[in-house]
Amino acid sequence: MLTLVLGGAASGKSEYAESLVLKTALPRYYLATMQVWDAECAARVEKHRKMRAAKQFKTVECPLHLDAVRLPARGTALLEDLGNLAANELYDPTGAGENAAAAILRGLDLLAAQCENLIVVSNEVFSGGADYAGDTGRYLRALAQVNNAFAARADNVVRVVCGVPVYYKGVEP
Amino acid sequence: MIFITGPLYSGKRTFTQTLPGHNLKMRADVQNLAADAADLPALADRLAHEYDILIATEVGGGVVPMDANERADREAAGRLACLLAARADCVVQMFCGIPTVLKGELPTC
Repeated sequence: MLTLVLGGAASGKSEYAESLVLKTALPRYYLATMQVWDAECAARVEKHRKMRAAKQFKTVECPLHLDAVRLPARGTALLEDLGNLAANELYDPTGAGENAAAAILRGLDLLAAQCENLIVVSNEVFSGGADYAGDTGRYLRALAQVNNAFAARADNVVRVVCGVPVYYKGVEP
Repeated sequence: MIFITGPLYSGKRTFTQTLPGHNLKMRADVQNLAADAADLPALADRLAHEYDILIATEVGGGVVPMDANERADREAAGRLACLLAARADCVVQMFCGIPTVLKGELPTC
């Protein structure tokens, strides 16, 4: 089962995605994408670690090269989030650069084949304007390409609005 | 309490005029209260207790701001919206003037 969970900043998308994972059997993998640059990143990682404490997640760091991830056993994987992954692949010197979207989609395919449930968190960052140039424009296009392509193949697409899940495709399990 | 959210100029206040009831206590732009709040759950409790209708403009749907304070404010606004939605009997999201009920039911006359 493939599920895409989308939401804006502080929309409650992480908590909701984790609640979906808790309905599934072990093992549970948390695929972390954030590269820790500063105290703000560290605080964010810590906040998410706390939320996952006692939920029996095994954390797999994958800020880049999703296609290299090999899960030890079939179970449920929660990947959080595509916004970070897209930025890392686009801008990290060892990332896929202009092929970021294609590389991430290939990684998602490989990952989906390794688990019973793949739950992917992504970001709504498309409602703050329509005239973005350069790097920001490139980033928005790449992320939208991944969001839309994954949504097309997903069984469930759910948007979280102030903590309330709204299903655009599929139904809540 | 009815919590109404939606983008800027999506018809949130106009929509409240269609709600039944008299002397409903309403507060708009509650997203602006989040940044300075030391305790968001306490603020949410107080607002939910005090008002019949609360309105927040969605501010978390754009590109992540470059400025750290703007990022923190946006985060607090989103968190407050989650807390208010959890406390609301009814949550409505406006989109170009069209209401969608996300939680509960709208009151009838």
